[in-house]
Amino acid sequence: MNQTNRLLLIPSLLGAALAVALGVYGRVHTPTRVAVTIPVFSSLFHAKLWFASAAALLALVQLLSALAMWGKLGPKTPSWTPALHRWSGRIAFLLVVPVAAQCLYSLGFSSFDTRTLVHSILGCLFFGVFTVKMLALPKQGLAGWVLPVLGGLVFVLLIGLWLTSSFWWFSENGIKV
Amino acid sequence: MRRSPIVTLVAGLVLGGVMTAWFAANRPAPKSAPAPKASAPSAAASPSAAASSVLASATWAGEVDGGGVSIAIAVHDGVAVAYVCDGKREAWLQGTAADGKITLTGKNGASLTGTYSASGATGSVTATGKQWTFTAGVVQPPSGLYRTAQFVNTAKVVCGWVVLPGNRQVGACSSEGQESTPAPTLNTATAKPLDPKDYS
Repeated sequence: MNQTNRLLLIPSLLGAALAVALGVYGRVHTPTRVAVTIPVFSSLFHAKLWFASAAALLALVQLLSALAMWGKLGPKTPSWTPALHRWSGRIAFLLVVPVAAQCLYSLGFSSFDTRTLVHSILGCLFFGVFTVKMLALPKQGLAGWVLPVLGGLVFVLLIGLWLTSSFWWFSENGIKV
Repeated sequence: MRRSPIVTLVAGLVLGGVMTAWFAANRPAPKSAPAPKASAPSAAASPSAAASSVLASATWAGEVDGGGVSIAIAVHDGVAVAYVCDGKREAWLQGTAADGKITLTGKNGASLTGTYSASGATGSVTATGKQWTFTAGVVQPPSGLYRTAQFVNTAKVVCGWVVLPGNRQVGACSSEGQESTPAPTLNTATAKPLDPKDYS
């Protein structure tokens, strides 16, 4: 086993365990359909749409700042780029956690049509891969491809989640607060 | 700095826990007597015939995700009728409920697919040119699905009502080829919920 595989073993196992645990919990518990009121928004449901959309926007910031950090946007990278990447990522993550908590607790893992099935699977994978990335970040001696691949996966999964939820709802119903 | 990704993960875990606890604290009271946790979905309303795949009798009612539109689904011996209404626009759908799945269709491309269990039904519905997802709990009379059909000057006028717990009524009336109008208040003390087998 080479060094990268060894370093990634525990993060990958933990990430996989989390993804499976979320999926199993979402599938076996009875959806509770709770409703709580949120200031500004007309319902918890609408708040979710906008939280997820803000996170998707920050995901774009993540992509651009990562490209800059890896020198893909030209040789001159502002010194604040890594801080921007870290903080936009943290905020995006903290925005999607409440959304996912409501999805899982209130609605559960659904498979009644392609959209909800895809969304449910992507949701479980997102938190699994995000965990792997966070646990892999501090490790030294990883192969160069590891962080770009994990980061790219997290980005694709989050955009996929947004497309199968907020974007779908806005395109069906119009943009509402 | 080396620890900050772990801090992020732990913060997410804590936030998720706090949110779930908040949702749990706001959980609505059960709408009907708590049914024993059914392992088989088909045990919903026929505990004596748990092996049977056809749902004997149940009504689910609620609002679609996002609110503003009410939905009720009534089932009797596997025959299912659903009514979707926002107080003006409406759609009737008819179909089947078996093996934990409900599948209904209606006029103008309306369709509903979903799953059901002892506690409720969840799925997605397309009607009046829009699509919603929903999760509806089991309801007991006087809550439920109501329908009347009358002839007024040879025109058949059909009215439907979703009666939600707390006697909140959402209904509309329409006669063939005419735009629907809000339904009058239904007296649930005298009206009888729709039996899906009588739907016509």
